[in-house]
Amino acid sequence: MDRETLRLLELLNQLKLTEDEKKETFSFFEDRKADSCGLEAIDTSEVERMVHVMPIMTVVREDKVSQPFSREDLQSGAPETDEGYWCVPRVVE
Amino acid sequence: MRYETVIGLEVHCELATDSKIFCSCSAHSYGAEPNSHVCPACCGMPGMLPVVNKRVVDYGMKAGLMLNCHINRVTTFDKKSYYYPDLPAAYQTTQWFAPVAVNGLVEIETSKGKKNVRIKQIHMEEDAGKLVHDIREDTTHVDFNRTSVPLIEIVSQPDLSSAEEVEAYLERLKTLLRYARVAECEMAHGTMRCDVNLSVRPEGSDKLGVRTEMKNMNSIEAIKRAIEYETSRHIDAIENGTEVLVQETRRWDDIKGKSYAMRSKETAGDYRYFPDPNVMPVVIDDKWFDEISESLPEFPEVKRERYMSEYGLSEYDSEQLAKSIALCECFEDAYSVCGSAKDAANWMLSEVMSNLNARQMTYDMLTLNGKALGELITLVVDGKVGRANAKKILNAMFDDASVSPAEYAEKNGFVISNDTGLMDSVIKTMVAADPKAVADYKSGKEKAIMAIYGKCMKELKGNCDPQTLRTKLIEYINSL
Repeated sequence: MDRETLRLLELLNQLKLTEDEKKETFSFFEDRKADSCGLEAIDTSEVERMVHVMPIMTVVREDKVSQPFSREDLQSGAPETDEGYWCVPRVVE
Repeated sequence: MRYETVIGLEVHCELATDSKIFCSCSAHSYGAEPNSHVCPACCGMPGMLPVVNKRVVDYGMKAGLMLNCHINRVTTFDKKSYYYPDLPAAYQTTQWFAPVAVNGLVEIETSKGKKNVRIKQIHMEEDAGKLVHDIREDTTHVDFNRTSVPLIEIVSQPDLSSAEEVEAYLERLKTLLRYARVAECEMAHGTMRCDVNLSVRPEGSDKLGVRTEMKNMNSIEAIKRAIEYETSRHIDAIENGTEVLVQETRRWDDIKGKSYAMRSKETAGDYRYFPDPNVMPVVIDDKWFDEISESLPEFPEVKRERYMSEYGLSEYDSEQLAKSIALCECFEDAYSVCGSAKDAANWMLSEVMSNLNARQMTYDMLTLNGKALGELITLVVDGKVGRANAKKILNAMFDDASVSPAEYAEKNGFVISNDTGLMDSVIKTMVAADPKAVADYKSGKEKAIMAIYGKCMKELKGNCDPQTLRTKLIEYINSL
């Protein structure tokens, strides 16, 4: 953990931490990191990688096209539409 | 100081499926009304659950195997979060932790010889929607037809070092993916797009320089120009301090021939990747894996060698045919009907190619019925249709793949007549009309006869055996 990582966490989580909170957060993550490092003592080289906590798999469907939904229904709750498009505030200058 | 350019590519290819990756809306909406191929799932409506399209996984595996990758037999989908109006759910469902294919290798060939490019991974993901900015000044218009169209992203290691190598790599990817019939890979149609990651370092150094990324490049020529520009810009910054290089995403303006900073480069942390709880792991069992492995096509090099050893074709002809799976399939179908590999190859590389050129079609756009081409070649070899008329029939076959050469020849009067009486009568008329050519021929100018021969052939509309016509014409003139 360093100040740049903490700054990034603040940004991504839309937080504004005080200096005291930063110290507390810093210390919290350092402790967690120390705990995690302890796990490195365990040899997991023979353990198959876990990709999901439950032994379940997805179902798949055939590549078949069905009728599209009604555009009018889908756009019925939209604040603004125009010529079949959804309208949003302009995102480029 | 001498510098070397270090380039890694992220190539997005739209998969050639009928429906989208997580819903059953059509994946083909080019030219369609906006938002006419959409449903609550691909519009990101709350509570909608994605269901994986099996063919997307099939094609992801096929692409991986074509690129010599290891296939992850348990592959998972993850959420990549970012906010932009083209992404209705505010996250893209992609693969981060266990992509379908990893650790591949692609061999390329340039003027400097052969080279291996390592593939870091291939992952499956959904495309974003399309934004239109020029309908009204105050808003951006959003079309979700393209949302959730299936893509694979092929991520290379930074093993490329020039525009020539990048071109060779992209062409190789196109060929292999088209061979496997998993993607159209047509940059002009937007079905293949490329992000170029580039840095520059002193030659021989093992430390990478500051990396910039140019996104969504969709023409090989533009990519080459952009690489040359960026390389010069980086070297200039390092040597002359013209600017401070920063890790960033840049936009290439091909008209101005310049790149412009778009935004600082995102890192994985920015996207907050996490396993998508709505899509369970995809488990590829042995049966599924074997089905895909067995469905792989012959590689281009194997085909080329086989054409030479098995069919006796020249290296050049074999190389030309093996450039495209569409050409190969048409050739093999034609050969299976006409029985002569040499004739089939000659027709493919002369008449078929010239039709493609005239129609400004790429090799892979060929939809000609190969078996029908074989029938046409047989008609010519058997002397039932003249070559000139056969070309007209081929032209009609290009316009309509259902055209039967024999029926078309019959219908249009192209079948060579065995009516020697008609031939004799035409010869007599044409000889009488050109006494000078006859006199010249009799005085020893053998070529003089060709003028009369041509007129006879024209009068007979090409529907006669050329050798018979020639023999009869000479016999008649000699009898005068």
